Amino acid sequence: MTTISTGSKRLWRTSPLTYIALILAVLSSIYPLYYMFVIATRRNDAINDTPPPFTPSSLFGDNINRALDNDTANLLQGIVNSVIVASVVTASVVLTGSLAGFAFAKLKFRGRNGLMLAVVATMMVPTQLGIIPLWGLMQDIGWYDSLLAVTVPFLASAFGVFMMRQYASSAVSDELIEAARIDGCSTWRIYWNVVLPALRPAAAVLGLLTFMQTWNEFVWPFAILSSDNPTLQVSLSTLSYAYYTDYSMVFAATAVGTVPLIVVFILFGRQIIGGIMEGAVKA
Amino acid sequence: MSVSTRRRRYAAVALATVAALATTTACGDDNEGGSSDGAKPEKLVVDTFGEAGYEDLVKQYEQQTGIKIELRKVAQLNEFRPRVVRSLATGKGAADVIMLEEGILNEFKLNPGNWVDLAPLVGDLSKDYLSWKYELGKAPDGRLMGLPTDVGGLGLCYRTDLFKDAGLPTGRDEVSALWPTWEKFIETGQKYKQATGKGFVDSVTTAVNAVLFQQNGGDLFYDKDDNLIADKSPAVKAAWDQAVAIADAGISAKITTWSPEWNAGFKQGTFAVNACPSWMLGIVESNSGPENAGKWDLAAVPGGAGNWGGSWLGVPTQSKHQAEAAKLAAFLTNTAGQVAAFKKSGPLPTNLKALEDPSFQSFTNKYFSDAPTGKIFGEGVQKIVPTHLGPKHQAVKENALEPALRAYESGQANAAKAWEQFTKDAATQGAF
Amino acid sequence: MSLSATTAPPSRGAPTKHTQPRRRRGYSRFTKLDMKYSPYLYVAPFFVLFGIFGLYPMLWTLWMSLHDWDLVGTHTFIGLENYSALLSDDYFWNAVRNTFGMFVLATVPQLALALFLANLLNRPMLRARTFFRMAIFVPNVVSVAAVAIVFGMLFQRDFGVVNWFLGIFGVDAIDWRREWWSSWIAISTMVDWRWTGYNTLILLAGMQAIPRDLYEAAAMDGAGPWRQFWTVTLPMLRPTFVFVVILSTIGGLQLFVEPLIFNNGNIMGGTQREFQTVQMYMFENSIHNLSRAGYGAAVAWALFLMIVVVSVLNFVITRRSVK
Repeated sequence: MTTISTGSKRLWRTSPLTYIALILAVLSSIYPLYYMFVIATRRNDAINDTPPPFTPSSLFGDNINRALDNDTANLLQGIVNSVIVASVVTASVVLTGSLAGFAFAKLKFRGRNGLMLAVVATMMVPTQLGIIPLWGLMQDIGWYDSLLAVTVPFLASAFGVFMMRQYASSAVSDELIEAARIDGCSTWRIYWNVVLPALRPAAAVLGLLTFMQTWNEFVWPFAILSSDNPTLQVSLSTLSYAYYTDYSMVFAATAVGTVPLIVVFILFGRQIIGGIMEGAVKA
Repeated sequence: MSVSTRRRRYAAVALATVAALATTTACGDDNEGGSSDGAKPEKLVVDTFGEAGYEDLVKQYEQQTGIKIELRKVAQLNEFRPRVVRSLATGKGAADVIMLEEGILNEFKLNPGNWVDLAPLVGDLSKDYLSWKYELGKAPDGRLMGLPTDVGGLGLCYRTDLFKDAGLPTGRDEVSALWPTWEKFIETGQKYKQATGKGFVDSVTTAVNAVLFQQNGGDLFYDKDDNLIADKSPAVKAAWDQAVAIADAGISAKITTWSPEWNAGFKQGTFAVNACPSWMLGIVESNSGPENAGKWDLAAVPGGAGNWGGSWLGVPTQSKHQAEAAKLAAFLTNTAGQVAAFKKSGPLPTNLKALEDPSFQSFTNKYFSDAPTGKIFGEGVQKIVPTHLGPKHQAVKENALEPALRAYESGQANAAKAWEQFTKDAATQGAF
Repeated sequence: MSLSATTAPPSRGAPTKHTQPRRRRGYSRFTKLDMKYSPYLYVAPFFVLFGIFGLYPMLWTLWMSLHDWDLVGTHTFIGLENYSALLSDDYFWNAVRNTFGMFVLATVPQLALALFLANLLNRPMLRARTFFRMAIFVPNVVSVAAVAIVFGMLFQRDFGVVNWFLGIFGVDAIDWRREWWSSWIAISTMVDWRWTGYNTLILLAGMQAIPRDLYEAAAMDGAGPWRQFWTVTLPMLRPTFVFVVILSTIGGLQLFVEPLIFNNGNIMGGTQREFQTVQMYMFENSIHNLSRAGYGAAVAWALFLMIVVVSVLNFVITRRSVK
């Protein structure tokens, strides 16, 4: 017994090299973000300084005000729109994902396996495959430049269904469902009272991942929204195209657009990371 | 506002039937809501690219009329064009007043129905502008698609401080005398390069544009009947050969126009000369920043006068305030408007009274070492002979000609290969 | 593609599902209806939305690809002409080559690095574990557009940080956008920066599910850490690895925003299309040149087929080789 445990201790010993490698990895993860922040706090010329500046200065307020004052980019509107779109999409993806995941994992119905296979298969479809007709469809139904165009198509996701199914199949016991059934619960009540609470951890992860992804979505909003009614990412691209020289302003705006996510991530990071790992193991 | 909410509600209803909707996704002219209702609009949107110099004018108009004006700017024409095309295709999202550059105007003439005939709305202004310029603003069906803004009289911007360091003269007349021809220009560039080791001109592509538009009256990528002749046009070949000679001389900084390097180059002095049609002055100024004020100056372009660029202001039929938009367009292009825009950012007037205006003629540009830009550009303007540009001129120039030259300049392709690349791409890009 | 492909790693020791015989009871009529039909109701939202906004446009794209289709004009049926044109279109094959090239250049080092980092993070005695995990994951939080803008500046020719850094070691300034290899490296770097952390965590999760006693047994046989990595970790990690590879494939073959913003929004990707991807070529032939939308649609379908083929291949190869 003792020999094994000392043996394994030696085996799992962490050498300084490990830390060095990890610290290098962390530095390269952080540096581009840090660089963005440093430029955002300096005069625009700093972007061309060699060697590059490594410490922040004090002009962040000026830079961000310039971005906010920009009529064309509508940055504030972009932030508000992004909050709306990301929240609605997140709530809906979690709801539809957990409902469908529950059905696929715990309910028996004809065609279940075939349909689940179809869900997984759709994950392979490149999102841009239908972008041209979708773009046409949107103008036909009058959603061009409307937030509906960047919200409605994303209210359910294959990944959400898939992830919730994987989680539900092990996190919710069949006995529990059966017992609820015998008590006379309808399927909906079972979902609401029994399944959903059990799915909470996975739902939180799915929610955060969905929020991040929606917040960062670029190609489709860029194609369908104008700078009049932009999401944050569309605002940012307007800034960087229209005022092409002013990088401190662009970076300040980009930092403002990224900070909320980083804060959320730091607050809930453990859970996200735990959840991703959970999902992967079950995947 | 109310229209868009109504539309949204309508859209929600429409969703239910979407699945059954096997309608075409083609986007015919969407004229609904295009009628001008005469009511005073709250806001008008103006779409421009580059630096049009409208910032102060727009504020002035706001004060006069109480209508809020939103000025949208896009840096590059290449970025601007697809947006306009898209908004026309979808029937949504276009501004009320849109700036149409000569390279893209003809493409829009293919579907004149997208544009409001301005003549009935602003009255007969044909006597107010250079007559050829005014005529070019008309679509084949006779409607007046745009009111003239500017022409792009050619000059060369140069950095006096860098010239001085290289032992070259700095006065604009002496500098102009250095390069009566492009050959002399190359010689000067080589002297500069020897002295400093740095690139002289930003890229061959600005040079090729200058040469291209010196072919006064000649056909460029299209003939007069809009047949694509990019591969056999003598004018194009002449410009090409000149650009190749500049590249061979090694005096280019090899910087792609509009890239981050280009933007930085103005501040950092990566190059000392840049082709400057009048509208480029505002771009040079905004790129170089206040810290470089007084370091740039303006000289004549080698090889004689030419016209690169210049625009019109049009009103799309999807605008909900056509009459008011037309008034705004007329305001921005009237005598006072054009003089003010010129002073602000350099676009050269096409309005005859503006060209005669003493405050235009005597204007000196402080940023450009007090160069008498009004006099320099104003003298050339009357000599401009219009050049016929075909429907996809801009696409051929930016997506076929310039990339091929850049490939040659950077040594990725030899002359024959680069020419082959150009002609092949021109055929695709130029089809319409 | 079978379901088990992406659902590959079954959670170890989880109870086998549905072994219980279904109990028959006298449920009410409502309950029977409820049990029979409500599952369809629950899965319906996804399928309805996918049908309208996924499948319908997809099929419409297929239909368009059989036409000479002008988004602002007319369209005429031309059968498979777009596809045959595609086969002999140099620019299309160039885009295919670029896409695969950058995919390999980005994915291989990325997965190797992710595997390496995951292995480091898997050491149980590691201090500040959560910090390391989170810090490595952070880039994934940043939007692609922001990444591309920032890296576009880092990779500037004249005043970029990367060239400055290389300059310290005496390397001449590289014009990153000019050559295919340099642009591929720059773009792959962006992709790797954003996704290595994400993949690290997924692989780490897979590693943590490997029972400890397997390692202890290997250690008893005298295997050192690296031997254990090869003989225990890698084989046991196979299902997770397949999952990661397939996800990277689907993402990698759709590369778009990075090369686009890298070249200042130019859809052609370099003067000789050095880094134009298939996705960019599709956009060039649709949204940018509206009169070629039919051809763009054919490009879109070709891309879809490529993804399917490569995913299946990936699945087969990874499954066989990592044993």
